[in-house]
Amino acid sequence: MFNSEMLASAIRLAVPIIITAVGAVYAERSGVVNIGLEGMMIVGAFAGATGTYFAGPYVGILIGMIAGALFALLHAVASIRFLVNQIVSGTAINILAYGVVRFAAISIFSMATTTPHVDSLPTITVPFLCEMPVLGPIVTKVSPLVLVAFALIPFTVWVLRRTVFGLRLRSVGENPLAAETLGVNVYAMRYWGVLISGALAGLSGAYMAVEHTGMYVEGMTQGLGFIALAAMIFGNWMPLGAMWAGLLFGFTQALSLRVVSSAIPYQFIKMIPYVLTIVVLAISMQRSRMPAADGVPYERGEAT
Amino acid sequence: MKAQRKAKPVVLQPRGSRRIALLEVSGPILSVLFAMLMASVALIMIGKNPFAVYGTMFAYSFGRLDSVAYILSKATPLIFSGIAVAVAFRVNLFNIGVEGQYAVGAFFASWVGASFHGLPPYIHLPLVILAGAFGGALWALVPIWLRVKRGVHEVISTIMLNHTSYLLLHYLMAGPLKDKTLVGLGTVGSASGVRMSPILDSARVPRLHGLFEAIGINIPAYVSLNWFLVVGIVLAFGMYLLIWKTPFGMQLRAVGHNPKAAEAAGLRSNAVLVRAFLISGAVAGLVGLSDLLGYFGYLDVDFPKGYGFTGIAVALVGKNGALGIILAALLFGFLSRGGMGIQVLERVPMETYFILQGLIILCIVIGSEMVRRFVRAQQKKEEAAADV
Amino acid sequence: MEKAAAVLELRGITKRFPGIVANNQVSLDIEPGEIHAIVGENGAGKSTLMKMVAGLYAPDEGQIVYRGRPVIFRGPRQAIAAGIGMVHQHFMLVANFTVTENVILGAEPARRGLLDPKTAANQIAELARGYGLKLDSKARVEDISVGEQQRVEILKVLYRGADLIILDEPTAVLVPQEAEDLFEHLRTLKKQGKTVVFISHKLDEVLRVSDRITVLRRGRVIGTVRAAEVTRQKLAEMMVGRPILFDLKRSDVTPGEAHLCVESVTARGGGRTILRDLTFRVRSGEIYGIAGVEGNGQTELAEAIMGLRPVGSGKILLRGEDITNLPTPKVRRRGLAFIPEDRHRRGLILPMTVWENTIIGSETSREFSRGPRLLFDSIYRFVNEAMARFDVRLTTIMAPAQTLSGGNQQKVILAREFRGDPKFILASQPTRGLDIGATEFVRQQLLNARDQGAAVLLISADLEEVLSVADRIGVIYNGHIQAEFSREEADPKTLGFYMTGVRSGESGAGKEGGSLTA
Repeated sequence: MFNSEMLASAIRLAVPIIITAVGAVYAERSGVVNIGLEGMMIVGAFAGATGTYFAGPYVGILIGMIAGALFALLHAVASIRFLVNQIVSGTAINILAYGVVRFAAISIFSMATTTPHVDSLPTITVPFLCEMPVLGPIVTKVSPLVLVAFALIPFTVWVLRRTVFGLRLRSVGENPLAAETLGVNVYAMRYWGVLISGALAGLSGAYMAVEHTGMYVEGMTQGLGFIALAAMIFGNWMPLGAMWAGLLFGFTQALSLRVVSSAIPYQFIKMIPYVLTIVVLAISMQRSRMPAADGVPYERGEAT
Repeated sequence: MKAQRKAKPVVLQPRGSRRIALLEVSGPILSVLFAMLMASVALIMIGKNPFAVYGTMFAYSFGRLDSVAYILSKATPLIFSGIAVAVAFRVNLFNIGVEGQYAVGAFFASWVGASFHGLPPYIHLPLVILAGAFGGALWALVPIWLRVKRGVHEVISTIMLNHTSYLLLHYLMAGPLKDKTLVGLGTVGSASGVRMSPILDSARVPRLHGLFEAIGINIPAYVSLNWFLVVGIVLAFGMYLLIWKTPFGMQLRAVGHNPKAAEAAGLRSNAVLVRAFLISGAVAGLVGLSDLLGYFGYLDVDFPKGYGFTGIAVALVGKNGALGIILAALLFGFLSRGGMGIQVLERVPMETYFILQGLIILCIVIGSEMVRRFVRAQQKKEEAAADV
Repeated sequence: MEKAAAVLELRGITKRFPGIVANNQVSLDIEPGEIHAIVGENGAGKSTLMKMVAGLYAPDEGQIVYRGRPVIFRGPRQAIAAGIGMVHQHFMLVANFTVTENVILGAEPARRGLLDPKTAANQIAELARGYGLKLDSKARVEDISVGEQQRVEILKVLYRGADLIILDEPTAVLVPQEAEDLFEHLRTLKKQGKTVVFISHKLDEVLRVSDRITVLRRGRVIGTVRAAEVTRQKLAEMMVGRPILFDLKRSDVTPGEAHLCVESVTARGGGRTILRDLTFRVRSGEIYGIAGVEGNGQTELAEAIMGLRPVGSGKILLRGEDITNLPTPKVRRRGLAFIPEDRHRRGLILPMTVWENTIIGSETSREFSRGPRLLFDSIYRFVNEAMARFDVRLTTIMAPAQTLSGGNQQKVILAREFRGDPKFILASQPTRGLDIGATEFVRQQLLNARDQGAAVLLISADLEEVLSVADRIGVIYNGHIQAEFSREEADPKTLGFYMTGVRSGESGAGKEGGSLTA
């Protein structure tokens, strides 16, 4: 049961969680809670599949990211500019996404819940590593997005720690008041954080549709947007932690797909990711260190 | 001016000036209209004339008797869902788990309804309803406990439990509690054969058709309008009583407005939060019962979903108030029915319904927030003038 | 002697907030290269004045002239650009950033968006060395001491090229040794040609380190003096002024047994010890007034007694029963009434109606409810009577509490808390922001309760309030009761000394330290 195939499968299934969770880091570190990630993944998946159908995988995936970012813009405007409760705004995005995607699916493909089959990106094989014993199957004939996902981790760490943008982004999520008195544009930073999280969630959805399944199917995201949030929390709002948490969830998902006949009914295996999420949250909320101003709407001029 | 010395206080100004009250009521209406305007954009994009579409929607929904009855029938579960969400909203808790709670509630109701032969309806039916409420409250217990004890945000935990509930119920319906009579019958009833035993007659909810017939209105038989509508309206009234006429309601509102002041005054915030959320869950457990006991008669995997999310929209549009929720539920019933109509007659996908839902929510909350800021600015001015 | 051109001139500065004039025609000069102190009691307008200089507020009238030119700042950034930097009383630091990150935020040394950590570290090290500020630039701000955090704030303004540095109550959060270090830094800054203005109420420190001192009282300038030419007594007199006389009636009551005993209570908050070994007691039939400038632990003391703040060590006894760390509902059930200092945030639920605010906390009592039913007749009757008894001016009890004036809001709180004739009343800043009529009313209510045998703990930053109302007075400073006085012994000057740390509980006249024997 625990072999390379399993590991490869786990990684493939972890990718959407990891990408979305890393995206969530950008938003939450800037102080905005993004509950609408699920909706952004859904639109990313659909837009990605549709774009690929018409213009090939590269364009399709890009469109998926744009679609995610557009929905994120809605959330950003509502919660940053209009100071709407971030949870409500995010929930509205999820409902809206569900409707918009169905509508578009019917209008374009005359089917409400699926798109036709689409091509994937050409797979790649990492030259040196594919010879190695355990790592081999994992890096052979794998979607480039898998590598992108893992590259995102160090990239995000670098952005957060070593760039001006990253410093200001983090400051806005910890103490927007102090940041504003020093001349940092709190609104702009938060917009960036939310837009990036939307684009990445869109990318994650596009990956699922285009690379993983080969088409869009309604409900394919199965709550992964929320699981990604939990992964981020479990990872203490840091990219590396999000990655490990994502891998853990990916593993449980892989498990649920593989274990066909066993003493435990398959429904319970499928439940594991969700139950695990709750358990993980129960443990990590105590010892976690949330950005101090996370979820708190900020009104410009609060410094005066 | 001195205070009046009567036992009943003189109500000169209900809640703030009349201008503000007007704003509060018109807010939701304007938001809905604005959302419909934005949805027109989507309609235009697929080459439809928005006026024609909306016109058909109205004509179809109100011009036919079966439509009106359908709207009432569709609104019924939404009333319960709106109440459930609203009660939690009032203490700033987000019960996104109504979806799962009503599934579990329907499960318990179905189980109690299919067992216990030989009970008279006036005992069996209330028992089934209680079972539904119990199921819902049970499924709400874990999220609120985790929230109060560990600070786990109820949004994520309730959504996780939504997914969990579907899987759990699927297992129960396909296995231990499967309808044994279906063995060998294959596809009779539901496509997958995964369902529970049918509800006994003693637990079915009677239809309202008889009542309407008595006053000369003949509702077609294919519309499922039952007494749960009345139960829902009564429950909404009950919610109103709870919030405004009971000590617990006062505590609820106090904790929702200002938990710090409530604590200083001696209220136990956590206890209030738990009670409110469990009540929310109990009501959520009833959301599916009008369909279960009045229409289907059995629980299977194709049981309608989505009432929970629509309930969020209903609560927001109805501003967490009893009358507002009833009206909002009717609104969404109208949108749903109108959606069917325009799908058939104008070839517009009825998914417009969902888009409208999402848009309405966004417009409402943005609109409310703006109104709230305006009102607060006004009141600050009044305050400054009042202070010597 | 030729007068050097002033680096900062304030001419006729006036600033109003709803209901109060914070600064009234304030004019003063700051000479270049001096250390200038602004002193006064709470509400004197010191902070507001300096915040205008630092660009956080705009004056309603008057002119700010900096380096010979009138300036109008539309935000703190403009003031910083002009060379004026402010170190706030409540630090504006990002807790989990390093010292370096905090200093450079918003003005980062960078190459094409990429932070340049080496340049940053060097620049900051240079700066710190030049001004004698010892700091570990890699340390996280949340891990360093409060004194060091303050140095980070100072570095922040120096890094941005400030020549005029304003500090708001800088020693409020420091222990004596850290305060000494701060004064050294200020002297170094002065030697480097910077001008320092600092706001304080601690007269001995002010006298030790400043060149000139301006005293504010109730928004007006009382005078500017040279530190070398003035005495502590004179300063305290200027600060406190003469009390307004109210016509308050009190009876001759012999106090009874000790009702509340606070014994050696220590409590922490915000990373530091706020209440230190605090001891006092209040007897039935007396008003014990705690005098002190705000920020010396009063808020925390009230919270600790009511169960809203954990007590680290020590005991709080109510009629002999240990109520330390008991949850609030249980404390209240033992007959404690609480008038919180922030009536908007802790005292009332503003969106709810007057009648609801009047009975909140008692809604489940038998008088107001029968099971799940609220007994509206009974409730309205009680509220109407209470409104009349407490002279609340309103049109209807159904109006939201936020529509009432401050004075009436406070009366509503009294009406609520005094129901059931509580045996112990904790009144925290009860007349803050109230007009004269309401103030007199509230004080009389406290006296009436005391006449009826209640034990009243009055915490007030208004010295003349404490003097006119209390039977015994304890002065709180740095979280400790420094001295106690009886009504007859107390005089403003002596109290002022203890309030401002001129005298401490270790030496001097009067009974030292809080005591458990009257």
